[in-house]
Amino acid sequence: MPREVEPSQNEKQFFTKALSENIRIDGRGFDEFRELSLEFGDEHGVADVRLGKTRVLTHITAEVTSPFPDRPFDGLFTITTELSPMTSPSFEVNRPTETELLLSRMLEKTIRRSSALDTESLCLIAGQKVWSIRADVHVLSSDGNLTDAACISIIAALQHFRKPDTSTSGEGVTVYTLAEREPVPLSLLHHPLCVTFSFYPPPAEGNGEGEGEITLLDTTHLEESLRAGSVTISMNRHGEVCQIAKLGGVAVDAVTLLHCTSVALVKVKEISAFVAKRLEQESRRKDVDGKMKTLLSSENARIPG
Amino acid sequence: MPLDTSTYSLALLRLDGRRWNELRRLTAQISTQAAADGSSYLEMGNTKVICTVTGPAEGKRTGGAGTGGGNEAEVRVEIGIAGFSGVDRKRRGRNDKRISEMQTTISNTFASSLFTHLYPHSTININIHILSQDGSLLAACLNASTLALIDAGIPMRNYICACTAGSTSSHSANDEAADPLLDLNNLEEQELPFLTVATVGESDEVAVLVLETRVQMGRLEGMLAVGVDGCKQVREILDGVVRRRGKRILESAAV
Amino acid sequence: MAITILPPAPAYLEPQDDISSDDSDVDGGVDLEGNSGMRPSKRARHSSDQELVTPGEIVTDDPQWMRGHGTYVAPSTTEIVATVAGTVQRTNKLLSVRPLRARYTPEIGDLVVGRIVEVQSKRWRVDVGAPVLASLPLSAINLPGGILRKRTETDELQIRTFFSEGDLLVAEVQSLYADGSASLHTRSLKYGKLRNGVFMSVSGTGGGGGVVRSRRQVWTIDTVHGGGKVDVILGVNGYIWISKHIEVVGGDTAITRIEESVSSTVYSSQNDEIAPETRREVSRIRGVIEILVQEGLRVDEDMVMKGYEAAVEVDSENQGESNAYLGGEAVVPGAVDMEIAKQEGEELKNVKRA
Repeated sequence: MPREVEPSQNEKQFFTKALSENIRIDGRGFDEFRELSLEFGDEHGVADVRLGKTRVLTHITAEVTSPFPDRPFDGLFTITTELSPMTSPSFEVNRPTETELLLSRMLEKTIRRSSALDTESLCLIAGQKVWSIRADVHVLSSDGNLTDAACISIIAALQHFRKPDTSTSGEGVTVYTLAEREPVPLSLLHHPLCVTFSFYPPPAEGNGEGEGEITLLDTTHLEESLRAGSVTISMNRHGEVCQIAKLGGVAVDAVTLLHCTSVALVKVKEISAFVAKRLEQESRRKDVDGKMKTLLSSENARIPG
Repeated sequence: MPLDTSTYSLALLRLDGRRWNELRRLTAQISTQAAADGSSYLEMGNTKVICTVTGPAEGKRTGGAGTGGGNEAEVRVEIGIAGFSGVDRKRRGRNDKRISEMQTTISNTFASSLFTHLYPHSTININIHILSQDGSLLAACLNASTLALIDAGIPMRNYICACTAGSTSSHSANDEAADPLLDLNNLEEQELPFLTVATVGESDEVAVLVLETRVQMGRLEGMLAVGVDGCKQVREILDGVVRRRGKRILESAAV
Repeated sequence: MAITILPPAPAYLEPQDDISSDDSDVDGGVDLEGNSGMRPSKRARHSSDQELVTPGEIVTDDPQWMRGHGTYVAPSTTEIVATVAGTVQRTNKLLSVRPLRARYTPEIGDLVVGRIVEVQSKRWRVDVGAPVLASLPLSAINLPGGILRKRTETDELQIRTFFSEGDLLVAEVQSLYADGSASLHTRSLKYGKLRNGVFMSVSGTGGGGGVVRSRRQVWTIDTVHGGGKVDVILGVNGYIWISKHIEVVGGDTAITRIEESVSSTVYSSQNDEIAPETRREVSRIRGVIEILVQEGLRVDEDMVMKGYEAAVEVDSENQGESNAYLGGEAVVPGAVDMEIAKQEGEELKNVKRA
């Protein structure tokens, strides 16, 4: 397995020197995200998020299964993340790295444990049939800040997804195909998003002011490999914190962390608004198709009549 | 829901009779295991943890990817949860993600708090055995590791002290008057939003902060403040343990 | 089935008053009054001149001190902060903290006992209990057939005939590498492969109990009960070797004779015949050292000799019934052991004899 290449001494020095002059090497502001783009696939529930060079694609699928015996009223919701060698040669198939582990834990805590998806609404027949929703996260290209990108893509995909409509009659469940009935959206209780802050030790010269560490948002791969610590804060746009994970690393003042949460709220609101806007554009585009379809179907309906 | 929060508002006493800002009984011993370079046994209420530290010692080279190439010691953490430690006798696999995350957290925390650059090419192994769990698991593991590392004489910047802090009334009840709580036990953890915080010594510097439940942003400040304050109390207790032990050693050496 | 939930109780209550509890341990035969009269003053003196610090504690903020081991200077201050729990030591203007307990860190000139863990083409890697393995180059051992012989390729090929994995040896630290690892040598008749004895590992020169650097690390005990002479090697790294003493044949130190003895016996892995009496005394010494360690006392020639004498004395009093020092479950913390352990203090011994 090829090991990840560490940044060279030159890169390190250049980076820290630039940082001490309040410059990021790609010229962004400290709390500025890279350009975020969100595309949806032709199918429902496919979201492709690009954050600079990081690209994450999430595909949501649904099938009917039987629930766990201890939770007969809850549908299943699983998130699988796999970092393949396609992302970086240092990732190996079937051997989860620490990055992958932390990523999947973070998504799990942000989206699943905060009950973003109402699993009870996925129940068809208590104890027998439930929907199983599966989110497959594919990291197509990794240039830092995987967590945030993956989270945006899952949330967007979940909002975009439509599961087939069903009807129950006694013990039987009828699942209608997309042509028979308009599929229904999932019931999401809230839309949590992650924001990761990376901390860097203050410049050695100790230029008095602030004395605190430098905080960067949306770090690139290089920035990530040089950071001294990080915290990932997940919240929704209503200001509810779903998860905070500062797993070791350099110690940061408690006040700084509180400040981070308020920055996170601003960012989450921005991103939520962006996702909502894109979804709306998408549905309008789809709607055009929809109108066409209804037109066509009515046309067809008219012919025999 | 096991916890009846209504009693709290009446008497301001929690399930186990503590007030909001009281820690559970925290006792610890160090140098408990003769075979290890450093060891400790720690109890936070009914959470009981044994920790042993071996090293710094030359690590075994793992496969082709040599880990000993660095100029710093590597900190490895292994957590074992005894089957009898919890209420449900659940067998946990080797690759339980929650445990792996705890391992990573502890390892990262101490990698930046220890002077690992003094021991190039070597490995510091921290082994933690959880004998009984009743909340504040990560905090107990961090505290026990700190003691064991001090016992092993590995230089560190300062104590890493951890505890949990929660907030009365669960997420759904949206009352602003919710009190923060210190050092939650298992029942409280299941019911209430809580966070684990670890600070460096008596400073306000936060090394670890883990929150896994939904909570209003406004409550966070109170919880964090109480947690940081609790860490200072924990530090006093841990320091007392180390000092008592130190005094005993010095006295016996002086004979 | 009823499940009762027990209230949390501390598994171990710290003794609130160390002095009184310690004294209550010393029972039977020892004059309590004389003892308790002496202890407090002695303790007070020691706790006052030995300042105990814990990690993160500021030792001084006076800029005149230089920081030594076990301390660091917080950035942009002059404060010297302790990084280990231990005692403050001031050497001229150098301030260091000696840890209560730590892994052995090699220093040049240390006599160490080690174990070969790896054989490489021109050197051995030796476990001496330090953070990294020490190395013993082929050029740093006495080659058979002449002390000043140049090493050849043949020697490299048969490197395993000198030392192979698992062999124990006594050596001296010759130099240190930049990463703190030691390079050893065995270029003296005192050093070399170990046999005819027993190995034990205690904590090294960290502080508290364990082996301390002292004037003599190697000496021979004339044992009682026909045990003959027994060698004790206290490695500074906390590894100890206790073995039957082998007379160097001839005894004179002519260069030629040394060469001969080097070639014949030094790299042999075969144990000699050891009489049961000798075995008994070897194991008695081992028991004594174990108790010294258990009680947190220092292990050096003086203490071991005193302990050995006391052990023999107790043994003869008990008509050989007590074999507390003869291996196995030797260190049962019973009354007899406690008594002996306390006897190490010289004044106690005097009290008893008086």
